[in-house]
Order: sequence, then C-alpha cells, then structure tokens
Amino acid sequence: MSDQNKRVGVFLCECGRRIAPLLDLAGLRQKLQDQDAAATVAIEPFPCLPPGMASMKKIIQDNDINRVVVAGCEARIMLKKLERELAEVGLEQGQIDMVNLRDHVAQVHDLAPEEMAAKGYKLIKAAVAGLEALESTPKELVEWNGPVVILGGGIATYAAAQELVRREIDCIIAVVTDDWEDEIRMLHEHYPGERHYYDRLENIMREVDQSPYVRRITVGNLSKLIGRTGNYQLTFEDMGSELPRVYQAGAVIACLDGQMLNQGTDFGHDGVNVICHTEAEEMIWTRGVPEGKVLFWLNDYEANQSEFVHLSARAAWAMGRYMRDHSPNTQVTIMYNSKMPIPLSAGERKLGRQLGITWVPYDGALRPTVQQGYLTYCDPESHIEQEMPWDKLILSPRRSLGQEVTKVAQVMGLDVREGEFLEQKHAKVRPEMQGREETFLAGSARYPCDLHEALRQGRRAAAKTAELVLKAKAGELYAPRMVCVVDTSKCIGCGLCKEICDCGGIEPVEGHGGGIPRHVDPLVCTGGGTCAAACPYHALTLQNNTLAQREARVAALARDLAPGEAIAFGCAWGGLAAADNAGVKGLKYSPGTYMLGVSCIGQIDPSVMARALLEGSPGVLLIGCPPEECHHSYGVDHTWSRVNMIRKLLEFSGMDRRRVALAHSDLNQPEEYIKTVESFERLMAELGPIEQTPENLEKLQGIYATVNNPRVRWVIGATMRRPWEDVYPGNQRNALAFDQDLLGILMEEFVRERVTRILQTEKRPMKLPELAGAIKEEPELVRESLHEMVSEGVIGRLHKDGVAYYVLRT
Amino acid sequence: MIEFKINDQPVEAQAGWTVLDTARQYGIHIPTLCHHEAVEPSGNCRLCVVELRDGDWSKVVISCMYPVQDGLQVYTDSDRVKNVRRWILEMLLSECPASSEIQRLAQEYGVEQTRFAIHDPEEDCILCGLCVRTCKEVVGVSAISMVGRGVHKVIGTPYMMPSDACVACGSCVTVCPTGAMRRRLDLVRGEPKTRMAHSAV
Repeated sequence: MSDQNKRVGVFLCECGRRIAPLLDLAGLRQKLQDQDAAATVAIEPFPCLPPGMASMKKIIQDNDINRVVVAGCEARIMLKKLERELAEVGLEQGQIDMVNLRDHVAQVHDLAPEEMAAKGYKLIKAAVAGLEALESTPKELVEWNGPVVILGGGIATYAAAQELVRREIDCIIAVVTDDWEDEIRMLHEHYPGERHYYDRLENIMREVDQSPYVRRITVGNLSKLIGRTGNYQLTFEDMGSELPRVYQAGAVIACLDGQMLNQGTDFGHDGVNVICHTEAEEMIWTRGVPEGKVLFWLNDYEANQSEFVHLSARAAWAMGRYMRDHSPNTQVTIMYNSKMPIPLSAGERKLGRQLGITWVPYDGALRPTVQQGYLTYCDPESHIEQEMPWDKLILSPRRSLGQEVTKVAQVMGLDVREGEFLEQKHAKVRPEMQGREETFLAGSARYPCDLHEALRQGRRAAAKTAELVLKAKAGELYAPRMVCVVDTSKCIGCGLCKEICDCGGIEPVEGHGGGIPRHVDPLVCTGGGTCAAACPYHALTLQNNTLAQREARVAALARDLAPGEAIAFGCAWGGLAAADNAGVKGLKYSPGTYMLGVSCIGQIDPSVMARALLEGSPGVLLIGCPPEECHHSYGVDHTWSRVNMIRKLLEFSGMDRRRVALAHSDLNQPEEYIKTVESFERLMAELGPIEQTPENLEKLQGIYATVNNPRVRWVIGATMRRPWEDVYPGNQRNALAFDQDLLGILMEEFVRERVTRILQTEKRPMKLPELAGAIKEEPELVRESLHEMVSEGVIGRLHKDGVAYYVLRT
Repeated sequence: MIEFKINDQPVEAQAGWTVLDTARQYGIHIPTLCHHEAVEPSGNCRLCVVELRDGDWSKVVISCMYPVQDGLQVYTDSDRVKNVRRWILEMLLSECPASSEIQRLAQEYGVEQTRFAIHDPEEDCILCGLCVRTCKEVVGVSAISMVGRGVHKVIGTPYMMPSDACVACGSCVTVCPTGAMRRRLDLVRGEPKTRMAHSAV
C-alpha cells in the first residue's frame, strides 16, 4: 500500500439507537460524498461487531482504502479493537482515527438531527485532514544485540538469573565475589534475620551457578551505561590495573540492595551489648547464640523510619525464634510501639507462645530510655513507667541507600534524590512500557523489603525482560508506532528534550551528551510528545502522530467554524475522557465547542494554537489533566508555558489574551468539564471572531512565525517544568524577572519575524517607515530590530538618495 | 452463509457471529447491560435473552453468546422473553435500586417495584463485570476484579486499597452501564494527591 496514494474511508456508526435517530447520518454521508471529503463513506449499524467489521474490511479492500475514520464512540475504549481487527487488511496504528459522534455530539446536545450532522461533518473533516497529512512509517524492528546483563551485585541477581535460565536466555551476572557461597555469608548485612530462607536461596544460587546460560563476571562498579533497549554498552570500573571492561548488552537489570546502618549513641549503641540487627546476626554466625535476656527494641519510630518497622519486627521475630530454637537458656523479648500491628500470622503467634517469645508494647508518647541493663518504657495500659531488663539489647537498623548503590543508580540515569530510595512514582501509561522500574530494578534499594520480596522483584524484572528477549529472538520485537523520533540532521544536541522528558527515553547517540544528536528509545518513550512540541528546531517528531497532522486538523476545522464556535483540545486522561463521560451520562451542554482528542495536551505545539487562530478560530481551549496528574512528563505544565507565550503575542497584536486558555479536567467530573466548556463558549461569544482584516492576518502570521522561531522556542523551553522541580513554575523568586525578559524577547522576535515576512512577500527593498507602516508598529522599535538583523546578516541595507532601504538576503 | 429467522424476518449471518451480532446488523433491538463491543461477551446480566422456537418447543438463551445456526427461529420480544426480562429486572431492581438505568429499563418493561428484599437502597452496581473485563482486555492492567463470592461479591482492588496497577484511565467509568463505577473510581485510582505516588506502604 503506497503512502503517496492516501485514500481515506469514513465509516459512520449508527450505534443502535444512540446515534442514528438523533443525528441525520444519511444527510451526513451525502454531504461528505458531495464535498468529496473522503474516498468512500459508508454507514454501518455496528462497525465494531463482527458483521460490521466484516463489511468494513470488505469496503476497505475493495476501495483500496489506507486511512480510516470511524465516527462512532470513544477512541479510548474502541480504538484498540479496531486497530487489532483492521491490521488484517493492512491498516497500522495511526492510520485509524475515531470521531466520537455519540458522546461528543448526538448524546450531549439538544439539536435537530441536521444540526447534529453539521457538527459531525466538521469533526469528521478535521479527522480526515489529519489522516491525509499522515506520513505513515514502516514497521521498525528493534535491534537486539547481546545478552541480558544483571548488575549491581544485589541478591535478587540470582532470582533474576534463575528466571532467565529457565527460559534459556543468556545472561551475564556482574557480582563482587568469585564464589557465591561468600555472598550468602555476607547477606545478613543487607537482609538480617532471613536465615530460614538460606536453604532455598542456596538452591537458586546453585542452579544459576551450574547453568551454561550464565556467565559470571567479577568487576567493579558500573562506570558508564549508554545505548537503548536492545543495544546497551556497559563499562565497569576494573578492580585491577587492567583497562575498564566493556560489555554489550541487550537489556540491563539492576539488582541493588540497600544498606543497613547502625544506630548512633543516642540509642545507646556501643557495638558490644547494645547492637543492631546486622551485628546480632554476625554474633550468631561467629560466636553462637548469647545466653541470658535478649531484648529486641523495635525503635524504628524513634529513628524516624516507622514505615519500615514491620521489616524490623519480622527480622527480630526470625532471629528470636532462631535463638530460642538453639539455646534454651536464652529469653527473648520484643518491645514494640503500641501503635503498630504485630506482623505475625496466627500460626506464628502460636509458635511464639510455645517458644516463650514475649511481645511487650510500649507507649510511643514516651521515648524509651536505655540504661545499663534496663530499658525504661511507659506501659500503655497502666501508664506506669516500667523497666525491662536486658543482657543484650538489639536495635533496629537504619535503612539507607548506600554510597555504592547511589553511584550505580546515578550512572544508570535513575533519579537519585537525597534521603529517598530508588522507587519512582511515574505516572503510568502503557502497561507494556519498558521504562518502568519493575522491568529493570530489583532489591531493597528500590524500597526496603525483605529477602523474599527482593527475590520476587528480581524474578519479575527478569520475566518482563524475558518477554522482550523472546520477542526479539523470534524477530517480532517492533518499536511502537507512536513514539518520538529524532531527525539527526536537524538535531543540534542541545539536550532540552532530555531535560524535560520524564519517561527517560531520550539519550545521546553516543557518549554522555554535549553537541551530539539525541535518539529515542522507542520501548521507553510514552509517546506524550511534549518534547517534540518543545524542540527549537522541530528535529524531534512524534511519528505517525505529527505536528503536521495536528495542524492539518485544526486548519480544516477552523476554516469550517461558524461564528461563536471554537476549537478545544482534550487529552485522553483528562478533557477528552471527561467529554466521553459526559456523553455516557447523557448530560446536555451547548454545542459550540469542537473537541479534538490528543493523547497528551503537551503534544499541542504552540504552532498548532497559532495555526488555529490564523485559520479563523476565535480561540483555542486546551483541556488537560488536573495539575500534578499529567501522565506524560508534565505535558500539562509545559502547555502552561506555551499558552502563556501565545497570550503575550496576542496582546502585542492588540487581541484579547483570553482567546487561548488552558483548563484542567478530571475524567470523573463531567459536570465540571461542562462548566469549563460553557464558560469558554460564553467568552468566545463575548469576544466574537477575530476580524479577518489584512492587518490582523499579518499579525497572526507573525505569531505563527514567532512561535516557530528557534530562539523563542529555546527560551520557552527554558521555562518549562523539569521532572525534578517540585512545583510549577519552578522558583517563584525569579519568575517575574524572567517573565519580563521573556516579554522583551518575544517582542523582538515578533517584530523580526514580521519584518522578514513583509520583505519576503514584497520582494523589493523597503524603507523603514514603509516597513513600520506595514506591520503597524512604532518606527523606533522596528529600527532597532532592523539594525540587529543587518548586523547579523539576515537582511541587507542599501542607501539610495541618502535613505536606507532594507532587503532580504537570500 | 448461515440463514435463519429473527422475529420471522429472514437474516443471513456468517459462522462465528452470535445471535446478538446478527440482530444488531439488521437493526433489531435487543436490550443489553453487560455487553460491550470492545470486549468479549460474558453473559452476565442475562438481559439480552431471546426465545428460540422449534415447533411447539422453545427455549430461552442469551443472545450475546449464542452462536448462529442454520434454521434458528429467534424471537427477541415474545411474551416469554418479556417475562424473563421482567424477572431479571425485578431482581436487578432489588440488587441495585439506586441505578437510574435499571429503573428506566424496568419502567420500559412495566416493572414498577420489586418483590425481593432490598439489602442496600444506595447500591447501583449490578456486578456485570464489564469494568473488570475492560480493565483486562482493553487497558491490559487488571487493576480491578470481582472480590468475594456469592452475596459478598463486589468490584474492587486487592485488599480494597488504591491499586498500584491502575493507570487512572477511567475506562471503567466510561463503559459502566449503570454509572456505578463513578463513585468507586477513587477507591481504585487513589485520592488525587497520591494518585501519581502510590507508595509501597
């Protein structure tokens, strides 16, 4: 199917009684056919059911259709099925678009069927225009080069390796020691009180050790990691004097264990009689179980780590149990804060009673005090201060990330924050997405956990990685179609995209950065596209869902709008979903807003907003997720910057700033969504259309050119929220000063772009007053810009009869 | 090509279609609740029942899962079918009296009130499991499932805690036939402030 011959088929859905009688489908088909809007237009009772699907496939094949618009219901729910089914007739993701006639038109407005059809017509034409602008890309196989490397030396390494071995997948495990038995001996430093698990762990380790699929390497820490899924290059620090060791890997799994630190003297820790869990384990290993009174104090609350108290309690319980099992002369008492539940099962409680392990609660309001031989605590029942005698006092450890783990995590490009563990709270988009930590991160450094959980995480990471490896082996690992790609000939390597991208899919082609083109890991990219909308040089594009398509959509729609009507964009997680739900609920609202769906509001390049105004829309409403809930790398925050820019430019042009607005909508609050839409509609009615005078058109052209100006896009990019910033708009301290600078830059570029355009269209040398008159700006302002442009060599200056003329340089 | 009759009207179908698919293709209305085109049918709500006649003998089957056969005689709105639907609606009315969709359907079939005990007048979920199937088949995450058995059955997440698997897409709310998922959504996706930050508490 050739891309040159773009043939769009439109299928109108009756959807039982929900579209057909309310909306004049026959009239709509007639109009689409009369206007030659699509290669073929058909009405189906239910295109989504097998009979309709069969008929649709036949029409597609008979008419050589390679783009399809299904005008029926929610793309959020139905598009996947259509893509799956229509793949049989050669249609790929991106070649199918949906218009929600049911929930955005038929169910929500009180209009005559003909008027409903008129609204549907405009929406369908916009969708068709978008598809006609689509340059469909061929399927791209992800290159897979090398085995799976499991690094970091955490204990989950073995669980992950076992999972891979069982699937016959080659892996390299990078560990610290040559002998796995040493690792068991050191394990209590990271997972105290897990001795009962060691037999099973040994079995796992032995299986891995004996497997022909595993290669064991003993190297230093990871010092460099570059590449993308399928093709990584890892460099390790070498412990000897040899050169750094470099390995090729298809995938990387990091198994990182957190560190257990001892408590300080504020808990009476002396390393002899008052010790921590790890030291207690060490003592049992080397000197055997101590006799006498052993007291575990679960002091996690007092050490400000109450969230991990259940782990300490489990470790104390396991160690106490071991002690009682091996030494009848040891008395074990565990003191716990009365606020916490005891994390034992009924069977364990019974066993505890049989073994004589006592659990004593204390009132957390009073901090227990360590004295020689006694622990003073307040009894929560009687409120009497009691003293608990001890011969050995065992404290909970302090859990932290550890320096080496921090280093490895930094090299891996993970977001390492002071005092936090590695688990990241990313918004989730596609469940199969690879960039999520459960695919590559396991162990207690991710978040403190017990040994069992660490091993489970390792298995899970390996299982998810194995899916990829097996697909790659079978030659079926294709890159998702709607992800960002970089045109390396346009990319200057400024790194803006990587800075604002939260999904972590953007990497330099080689090395660490600098002026080197970037590329995108298609298996990590979420396809949000705010990075593409930020790129100063349009080097980054969201393939199969491009800026050109969105511009084509708004242009087609804006040209058709009647007075009082305006364009809105809604993101699939916020505005669009709320609009869908309004239709499902059967809420009614005024019909003047035309909703176009996008997967993230951050995809909307300012150039799309400018284009909408230029083509005749009185305004543009962008409805994203509620603040702090963007699913794609803060797209909604970035849109704020873009809207702000357009508003400034509108003001320069003497137009109302409010014509472009950002709104937030929760998908579960369709009533609030309706308030948003209706309020914007009232505003549009109040402002009226932008008069299509040559003067206004010239200004709108200027806005369009300005928002595509690399310098302006760069400056806007600088204001955009970074993933590490806690709030938008970053540091308020400089916000006002920045805004004033931005205003100056925008004005400058606005004038320059317009002067350039005038010189381009006039194609003759022009004098300053002429130019200033043409763009209706102060001559002083224009003179300044002209001087600068001359000195930069963008335009030339000639003198005739003592008067300066300016001319465009070619 | 399979030929049979729906309400005495001759229809043509292909192997693999169901009676409901065929009826809808011919514009014959059959009410449904748990059926959604985006997911596989599950036959939970039983509202789509139709009558199959064979001479003096007839049986009532659910149309959403009944495969087409040559020579079927399907009646979508016969007295027997209407009676079964009234029974179903009466039972649904007792199970989820708060749902306006159920009330509307009940009224359509002339069911004014229910003779069964109403356990919870606020209940609006009919436990059709459409949200569960959508979460699994369309979204691909299985954040929600049927929890419990028998009369204790509810829609929920593991331990009834906001689910880490939930991507907060709202597909369950959109497909829910009774609007019951709306007030349950926050229990699944979490409160707005923590939605993006489900921690491993």
